[in-house]
Amino acid sequence: MLQETQKAKIVFDNVRKAYPAVRSGGNQVVAIGELQLAINESEIFSIVGPTGCGKSTALNLIAGFEFPTGGDLALDGAPVIGPGPDRAVVFQHPALYPWFNVLNNVTLGVKSRGVPKDEYMARAHTLLRAVGLAGFEKSYPYQLSGGMQQRVQIARALISNPRVLLMDEPFGALDYQTRIIMQQLLLELWDEFRPTIFFITHDVAEAVFISDRVGVMTRRPGRLKRLVDVPMPKPRTLDMLRQADFTELEHQVLGLIQEELLHLQKPNMAPGT
Amino acid sequence: MKLLSLILASVIVPAAATTRRHSQPAIPTPVISTISIGVLVLVWFVVTNSGVVSADYLPSPQALISRFWTLLREGYQGESLFGQISASLSRTLGGFVIGGALGVAVGLAAGYSRTVAAVISPVMSFIRPIPPIAFIPMVVLYFGLGETGKIVLITVTAFNYAVVNAQAGAAGTPMAYRRAAATLGLSKWQEFWKVIFPAALPSIFTGLRVALALSWAVVVAAELVGAQSGLGFMINNAALLFDIPTVFIGIALIGLIGLILNTIIEVAESRIVHWRGR
Repeated sequence: MLQETQKAKIVFDNVRKAYPAVRSGGNQVVAIGELQLAINESEIFSIVGPTGCGKSTALNLIAGFEFPTGGDLALDGAPVIGPGPDRAVVFQHPALYPWFNVLNNVTLGVKSRGVPKDEYMARAHTLLRAVGLAGFEKSYPYQLSGGMQQRVQIARALISNPRVLLMDEPFGALDYQTRIIMQQLLLELWDEFRPTIFFITHDVAEAVFISDRVGVMTRRPGRLKRLVDVPMPKPRTLDMLRQADFTELEHQVLGLIQEELLHLQKPNMAPGT
Repeated sequence: MKLLSLILASVIVPAAATTRRHSQPAIPTPVISTISIGVLVLVWFVVTNSGVVSADYLPSPQALISRFWTLLREGYQGESLFGQISASLSRTLGGFVIGGALGVAVGLAAGYSRTVAAVISPVMSFIRPIPPIAFIPMVVLYFGLGETGKIVLITVTAFNYAVVNAQAGAAGTPMAYRRAAATLGLSKWQEFWKVIFPAALPSIFTGLRVALALSWAVVVAAELVGAQSGLGFMINNAALLFDIPTVFIGIALIGLIGLILNTIIEVAESRIVHWRGR
């Protein structure tokens, strides 16, 4: 168990990610330009920005699905060599296995790694109860709604007590009410387990509500445009969303994104900083 | 005009008054199907009994039924009817089980590993377009008219169709499933058995259904050419002896058994692959 230090957990040092041209003679796609970013231990960090700015790419790099073409990405000081259960991923569309029931989906990872059964079973039941799915252990994913499937994914991600939780627009496909419930659920679970959370979203209010800091990315090739601190204390409640300081921060973040969108619409304008 | 609207009203109003969805016909569909078959049998009965079509070409329903009972009692050419059927079936199932199992195993390996795919691809691409029936003369030449040759032929047929579907199923595992497996910390072996294999099951079953249907067809074809027993032998032999009712019965049995075999696989699939289409 790592001590709570000020040393950053995840460090992007001048990271660049480019994809080769589809046809010879074509242009390569630079998803991330030079990304300088340090995310702290147990921080909830949201990343927002215009479509195609490299947010998912950044997550894939931390997850180990892809590797930087330039610069260094360090996790606890060491480079990322591949995917692993220490960086649990919650995908936008639940990647639950339809041939396993809810309980088997949640316990698949820990079971395969040889964790003793009574240990992981107890944890599975606790987590399923925490996400409000007690009684659905024997159900199959296709019998559940989208929101319920996402909750199973969260339970699956948390069962191995990961130090890092990577979430790629996890609530994007859900309706507004369910999204609010899930945001509060996430904050409760964070309070209990304190993972480092890297959270991608298009919903600015969501980003500000749950995060300690919000990173705004530029349009492609993505760099960090600005880091916005959200100093409000936790636990956060829904009525906080209406307070002036919150809406101020939302406006600030939205304004930053809109600057980038403006450049996307009128590419002939001289690019901003 | 008033009369016309009265007539129309008497039709439309009752039709509208019934609480059925307007896309359903007024008569339930199973009834329509039964009537359809009934009409066909009736036409068949009339046409054959009245002499419109000669009995040499189309036996009457009663002639078929009586011939069927005779076959049941006395068998055909020294072998009971059940024996003829099981001769064909045992060749089919023997070859299908071996060829299908091998095909699924090799196909899964080829879908998972590019090396394996590269090894078998050239051979499979060459064999695939050849209709299995084309191999029959070769099989008779090498193995004679005995059981071995037919089982070899069916094995190759079943293998051919099972492999391509299993390979597609394994290779087509969604990227999200594989990434999820990686973050869950599954080893390559565990990923194969718990993710790739189940994900490929729908394709595997499609391949097995095609393989079985073709195995059955190829067995009949092989028996037409060189066999001493089986349904294919029976219809060929009966045709040579102008025993038309037996030909018809044989063909009907071939169709019926093919249907039963297909249904068995479909039922097995719906039990095992409970998530298909959900």
